[in-house]
Amino acid sequence: MLKVEGISVRRGGTPVLHDVSLALAPGATLAVVGESGAGKSTLIGAILGLIRCAAGQVTWTDAPAPKCRPALVMQEPRAAFNPHLSLRRSVMEPLAKQASAGDLNRLYRLCDGLELHPDLLDRRPNQVSIGQAQRMGILRALIAKSPLVLFDEPLSALDAATQKHTARLISDMQGQEGFAALIVTHDLGYAAAFADHIAVLRAGRIEEYSAARAFVEAPQTAYGRTLRDAAFSLGALERVA
Amino acid sequence: MTFTANGLSAVRSGRTILHPTDVTLKPGERVGLVGASGSGKSTLGHALVDGLRGAGTAVAHVPQSPDEALDPLRSMAYHWREAEIALGLAPDASRRTHLFEALQIGHGDMRKRPWGWSRGMQQRFVIAMALIGTPGVLVMDEPTSALDPVVAAGTMDLLEDYLAGRQTALVLITHDLGLAARRVSRLMVMDAGRIVEDAPTTRFLAAPATRAAKALCAHRNWLQLPC
Amino acid sequence: MIGALAGLVLRACVVLAGAAITTFALLWHAPGDPALSIAEARYGTIVSEEVLDFIRAEAGFDGGFWSAFWAWLVPLLQGDFGQSSVNGRDVWPDLVTAMSYTFPLALVSLGIGLAISIPLALIATRRPGSWVDRGAVALASVGVAIPAFWLGLLLILLFAVQLGWLPAMGAETISHSILPALTLGFGIAASLTRIIRSGILEARGQPFLPAFRRRGVAPRDIARDHVAPHAAVPVVTVIGLELAFLLEGLVVVEVIFARPGLGSFLVNAIFARDFPKVQAVVILTAVIFVVVNLLIDLIYRRLDPRMEGRDA
Repeated sequence: MLKVEGISVRRGGTPVLHDVSLALAPGATLAVVGESGAGKSTLIGAILGLIRCAAGQVTWTDAPAPKCRPALVMQEPRAAFNPHLSLRRSVMEPLAKQASAGDLNRLYRLCDGLELHPDLLDRRPNQVSIGQAQRMGILRALIAKSPLVLFDEPLSALDAATQKHTARLISDMQGQEGFAALIVTHDLGYAAAFADHIAVLRAGRIEEYSAARAFVEAPQTAYGRTLRDAAFSLGALERVA
Repeated sequence: MTFTANGLSAVRSGRTILHPTDVTLKPGERVGLVGASGSGKSTLGHALVDGLRGAGTAVAHVPQSPDEALDPLRSMAYHWREAEIALGLAPDASRRTHLFEALQIGHGDMRKRPWGWSRGMQQRFVIAMALIGTPGVLVMDEPTSALDPVVAAGTMDLLEDYLAGRQTALVLITHDLGLAARRVSRLMVMDAGRIVEDAPTTRFLAAPATRAAKALCAHRNWLQLPC
Repeated sequence: MIGALAGLVLRACVVLAGAAITTFALLWHAPGDPALSIAEARYGTIVSEEVLDFIRAEAGFDGGFWSAFWAWLVPLLQGDFGQSSVNGRDVWPDLVTAMSYTFPLALVSLGIGLAISIPLALIATRRPGSWVDRGAVALASVGVAIPAFWLGLLLILLFAVQLGWLPAMGAETISHSILPALTLGFGIAASLTRIIRSGILEARGQPFLPAFRRRGVAPRDIARDHVAPHAAVPVVTVIGLELAFLLEGLVVVEVIFARPGLGSFLVNAIFARDFPKVQAVVILTAVIFVVVNLLIDLIYRRLDPRMEGRDA
């Protein structure tokens, strides 16, 4: 459904992304891993059409409406919301038009799935916990039923236990709603546990693309091994006995 | 001989965020201080540094991010010299070379200011600075979370190699039990401003007793999450 | 660095050219006949149409705006400020005399402002939120709100009229400068106090300071080596802006205290439509403003080298 074909992005003469190609099937999950500065956020910007590509193209075949964009979940949960608006207003914003009874129904169903008490919707972003704020961000991304959701480091602001809980909820929602997910993360543990495929981005290029479990067991490139071994060493991954 | 700090506590705007706590560390020990965010582990870390110093132990603290340790307007050389003066030490080029080599930052330009160095190198510089006075206790607050995994793992490995065989006790503060479990031999679990569990790592992982510890253990490994 | 400097100089040139054209245009289009104003200033009586035509030709008014503008600009570029339209004397020596009254006054005022505001801000920030701090902030707010002409008259009433300690008018002796300098200095002190205070408070909130304390660096050293430089950055920037306030205050204060100087020079020239004189003051102040801001920019880069390489 999402096709990224040979995109290159330059910033001030220096290439930030170079000939990056990716594909994502409906309902599938792709994790893009890499270090800071590898071009992960630029890739998201390019897919959203916020950053102009010097070459290549991003196509989204079965978009529900011609002008529809993928939904986005951002890294800093609180910064992702207008601090002066209630979460309800921010969350309902993607719907544009007056919320119908069906929309409200869907809102409460999603709240339930994300383990958010509906009363939290009437609070401001700084009146909920950071984990709750991030789940509100996910709720906003899902409300408009976009079949593609981009996650930009969705867990890095959360503590270890909350990360895992949130990852589980994202995965459950995916099972329920059927959206495809592109997850940008530096956490190989998360990628290995929840993605179907892992793309390793390094200095603007795709260094390696593998099935997630296969990558953890045997990375194909030296850099892939470096990343995996660092994850082992930090306890983000356990060595398979 | 042990390092002991008794009656550590903290109150912020009328609320007790750290209940009176005693901490005893053995020389050369590797201790993990783990807990969810808001459990009071950083507060205990700060109180531990102040308490141990008050008790006459040489102690050093490495904050989570180099931004919390270095003044962007001052050069690296300035920071280094200032840290030496604070410890009452004369400048010693060989000590610096030795620490820089151990942490692999010997190629860094000392005339530059922090932002002239990469974040990973800044963090190693802060660690090297913490080791100047060969402290009895080194407290590290979330040493990996501000760095890329590859850099963080490399830094931790270099630090462990340096500390091996030395008397310095390491206290690793982290929310990530997976990280702590790989790096320390004793775990202290914090919950709501108290240490609720304190046990050798292997025993702790095999049989966590409290609710907070069980939650941490259950969410330790990405590939074996409870459903 | 070289590129940034070139950018700054280029910007300075644009500012100067803009200031020159704008003032010339404003004077030109001001209501009333400039030739009539000049004639009045020159002869003090109603004059005939022939004399006015003569003045127009002499001042270059008859060729239209641009020809008058060029007639003034071209000699200026060669360092010639021209002659007064009123008395025919060279503008430059008179300007120098005026400056010799104004610049010492400006510097002393700035000195008074700094001498009051720095200690006041330091005392206020010793315990933020205490009554001393609140008092200093209140005093500064009142000081900013008081216009220079009112404060100047109050000081004259108190020290010259009631107490008779100091002279009020003129500029013959040093004692004549005390009241004008205090009037300006208080205004500067008021606005600087608030800036320095918030600069110090902001610098004290820097995230790295607790780490320096834990490293065992003495509090005095932290304040001197790590708080003060960070607090200085916004203060230096504001001192540049303060200069605009100072120039504006100088005009008012010189008129109140009947002092010769740039302010009186400018006011008299404007009333007489003495184009060369007005333009000379405008160009001079624009140059001062641009040069000071250029210096401040350079100091700023020195204080905070993170600016280096960013937009000039």
